[in-house]
Amino acid sequence: MKFNAIRRAAMCMAIAGLGLAPAAQAADPGITDTTIRIGLFSPLSGSGMAYGFDVVNAAKMYYDKVNKEGGIHGRKIELVVEDTRCNANDLVAAVKKLVEQDHVFLLNGGSCSAAVVAAREYVERAKVPFFMLNASGDGALYPPSKYIYGAFSISQYAVGGSVVEFAVDHFKAKKIGYINHDDAYGGWNQTAAEFQAKRHDGVSLSVQSINPSINDVTAPMLKVRAADPDVLLLTTYARPAALIIKKAHELGWNKPIVLTVTGTADLTQLVENVGGAAALQNFYIQDVVLGLPSDPKMQWVYDMYKEYYPDLAAKPGHPQSYMPYGLPPAMTVVKALEDAGPEPTREKVLAALQNFKLETGVMASPVEFTPTDHAAQKSAIYMKFDGQNRELIPGTFKSAWTYTPKQ
Amino acid sequence: MSVADIWLFLQQGVLSGLVTGSVYALLAVAVVIVFKTTDVPNFAQGEIFMVGGYVALFMILVLDWHYALVIPVTLIAVAAICALFQRVVMERVIASKGVGVQLVIATLGLAYVLKGAVRQTGLGDAPRSLPALIAPDTVIIGDAVLTRLDLMILSTALVVMLGLYVLFNHTRTGKAMRAVGMNPKASQIVGVSLVRIRMLVWALAGLISAVAAILITPKILITPDIGHIAILAFAAAIVGGITSIPGAIVGGFIIGVAENLVGLFVSTNAIVVAPFLAILIVLVVRPQGILGGKAQVKKV
Amino acid sequence: MKMDFDKWALAAAAVVLAVLPFIASGYILYIVNLLMIYIVLALGLHIVIGETGQFALSHAAFYGIGIYVAGIINNAWHPNLVISVLVAGVVAAGLGYLLGALAIRMRDIYLALSTFAFGEAMQWVFLNWNEVTNGSNGYQMSPAWFFGFELTSDLRAYPFTVLGAALMLWVTVWLSRSQLGAAFRAVRESDVAAQAMGVNANVIKRVAFMCSAAYAGMAGGLYTTFASFIHPESLGFWTTILILIMIVVGGIGSVRGAVIGAVIFGLISELLRQVLSFQEIIYGLILIGFMMFAPRGLFSGRRRARKAAAATGAGSSGGTQA
Repeated sequence: MKFNAIRRAAMCMAIAGLGLAPAAQAADPGITDTTIRIGLFSPLSGSGMAYGFDVVNAAKMYYDKVNKEGGIHGRKIELVVEDTRCNANDLVAAVKKLVEQDHVFLLNGGSCSAAVVAAREYVERAKVPFFMLNASGDGALYPPSKYIYGAFSISQYAVGGSVVEFAVDHFKAKKIGYINHDDAYGGWNQTAAEFQAKRHDGVSLSVQSINPSINDVTAPMLKVRAADPDVLLLTTYARPAALIIKKAHELGWNKPIVLTVTGTADLTQLVENVGGAAALQNFYIQDVVLGLPSDPKMQWVYDMYKEYYPDLAAKPGHPQSYMPYGLPPAMTVVKALEDAGPEPTREKVLAALQNFKLETGVMASPVEFTPTDHAAQKSAIYMKFDGQNRELIPGTFKSAWTYTPKQ
Repeated sequence: MSVADIWLFLQQGVLSGLVTGSVYALLAVAVVIVFKTTDVPNFAQGEIFMVGGYVALFMILVLDWHYALVIPVTLIAVAAICALFQRVVMERVIASKGVGVQLVIATLGLAYVLKGAVRQTGLGDAPRSLPALIAPDTVIIGDAVLTRLDLMILSTALVVMLGLYVLFNHTRTGKAMRAVGMNPKASQIVGVSLVRIRMLVWALAGLISAVAAILITPKILITPDIGHIAILAFAAAIVGGITSIPGAIVGGFIIGVAENLVGLFVSTNAIVVAPFLAILIVLVVRPQGILGGKAQVKKV
Repeated sequence: MKMDFDKWALAAAAVVLAVLPFIASGYILYIVNLLMIYIVLALGLHIVIGETGQFALSHAAFYGIGIYVAGIINNAWHPNLVISVLVAGVVAAGLGYLLGALAIRMRDIYLALSTFAFGEAMQWVFLNWNEVTNGSNGYQMSPAWFFGFELTSDLRAYPFTVLGAALMLWVTVWLSRSQLGAAFRAVRESDVAAQAMGVNANVIKRVAFMCSAAYAGMAGGLYTTFASFIHPESLGFWTTILILIMIVVGGIGSVRGAVIGAVIFGLISELLRQVLSFQEIIYGLILIGFMMFAPRGLFSGRRRARKAAAATGAGSSGGTQA
């Protein structure tokens, strides 16, 4: 009978599988005398493309620059790039391929928080250092893992904490309207927002959690208006944010509205989407870089992009607004490799990250790691945006939330 | 919540719901006419709607044409794409002896192709709007606020529905479409070209979707993933009766209003699952929908 | 003869699968593990749609239930994986039997739409029932166990996924040749005729739902042998559609078709990831192409059944009914 063949083969495999214990690694893979192989991954296609495409380009250009200047302790960086489509299963497949097929030394990737969390257990089992790109990835950072470093743009917890701090400080707000998403992301920023609010006397949040694919924001906006807050904070993506701002304007509600960095990808388009500058009379945006793109301090980033990608830079919509976020992770990887010495191993790299601080010249605050916190960036800046001009509000606003392990 | 609040919520929820509902209604009609005539639930209807918006966007943004030109060209372009797809792909599937499920998968293939094509153009990188067709002034009705665009959406949708009524009841083509829906074989015998009618029905569905897209894009903003709105169109069609055009219209308004009322009085979280519960409840309790006539018992 | 093709194909597959762990990387084994899961899922959908003709589009929901049940059990008690997989299958089967009531009330497009709505509602539950599933954070699962042996890699899980798929394939063929299989097919052809033959169509429909859900639940259990994380985004309509495409492209009503379709589309799905921006267009064109030129699929169960019946009628010994 044909099934005997299957049974026999299956038994062979069972014995084979059980017998094949993983061999102890003598030397780390991905590193030779002249090269270090890094696995780079991000959504390069599909609906998440805007979060990864130019971010990967920024990381690539930095690694290229380092190579041009001689590499790290004489070793050039070799990149293997994978597309994760902003999808958890695809990200895991990409990571497995990079680690087991391409034998990379370390991983640098991830722009979508939900997807990035999927790789956590695998990365820990495989013992590979993993630096996220621009994903907040809080789900993989708390509780902290020896191997995982992220939130180079900003921790999503910090997004919530920082914006509440700004609302209380700048507007002296007592009642705060808060619209977030009903996904993991939204849960993180809400947790820290509520934490931040409790630190001030008499400050309370009135929260509406909406689905990202919502079409009619009448319901959440009416409820917010009924709560009569002093300011409205939005931690939604760009489309729902525009819908809410529009609806608020239609309803004649003109208290201040603050939009966090999640929704600020394309400000010119935002103006058009809300029906014009009239809706932005009392409107503020959050940012996590250290200045406006027009700020001389940021010039080097955009000049570098033009130098490496002249064709892309000429196209409209490029560089995409999250592009600078690709630099801090790459800079951190390079610094950690340098600190690990002329004979780097994965363990040495991880040791170099134990207490780590790096001023990147890109973000609002330096990259900072402690043994109990691997989220790099927790501060934000704010600007008033009237549809044309951005006016920087002085100060950086840091989120106070810290992780406490469950007992 | 005070009584005044509740009354306000009701007024605003219902009125705003009728506006978005009118667009769901248009899409539901598109779904129903294709289903009635070809027995195929078109899973690409949402993407066809999306393409309508992007074609208009392309003409305005890149070609810099005036709305007076953009609107007719968009309608013709989308109708043509749909007619072409039906004629080239769907007819071929039928000729190769494909039936229901294969035709549905073909429409899925169309959905993927359309979405991928739009992403290639780069226009889909950020949510976009079309320039306002009309001044954005607000209009107060009772305690509720609508915009002039809202009223325009509502009235245009009603005009389209009226036009469809005239088409199906007083023109030869429209009657032929209905005949094919009721009894394809008999229609063939009396000389109706099935291929031609199916093509026209797809073109009409495309046209209606494009109208819906031009109307509502400034209101809900367009992304390559906006095709998910088709779920609401299907829910509307089912609630109203998937074989009834007036049913689709009523269903659309019901879904639009229900979305808001659920959001206002239950929770914002529940808005997204409400259409699925509506589908389940209607199909279990009254599968033919509100206006679907008698429950159909298929001959076995 | 058909029998030889089956024997040849299975033997070849057995050889390849036996050799693979010695020569392939963990990544390739991960892909094969996924393909084994797809095979079980496709076989399950084959039973309810292919054999019994009931358009149930709720498959991903039962797959999800299987994953969460097995994952929760693994996290809490670390039992033998056989237990987790079986419990996952049983729980899913129970719910499947209940959902089968829909099939009694409606058919075709209405059944498809209501089962689809159920699937979407189930995904919403996965996303929002935070206490149990951890909602949109995704659910972390600890490794499975087998008699003191912990499955911490794709390589270690590999024998189990392959064995699991082989077992379910064997069960499917056995079912198909049994009286229950004949009853499934009778209901597919005609409710009334089935009743006339003494088959209780309503019960059979529910049993078909139950079996299909059991397969999906067990596929979910097998998934937890090599995956450590699940997010509800992969437990919705698109996953069900992928499985549907697998059995349609393979050939509705054919077990061979389900298996081959699962392998082909599972591979296409992964290979497309390498192609960057044209993925959606290519995938859509593949679907359209298959439907235009081979809509009945690569293997057609019904056509061969009719041929076999005709052959028997003409006096020659017919082929198998798999």
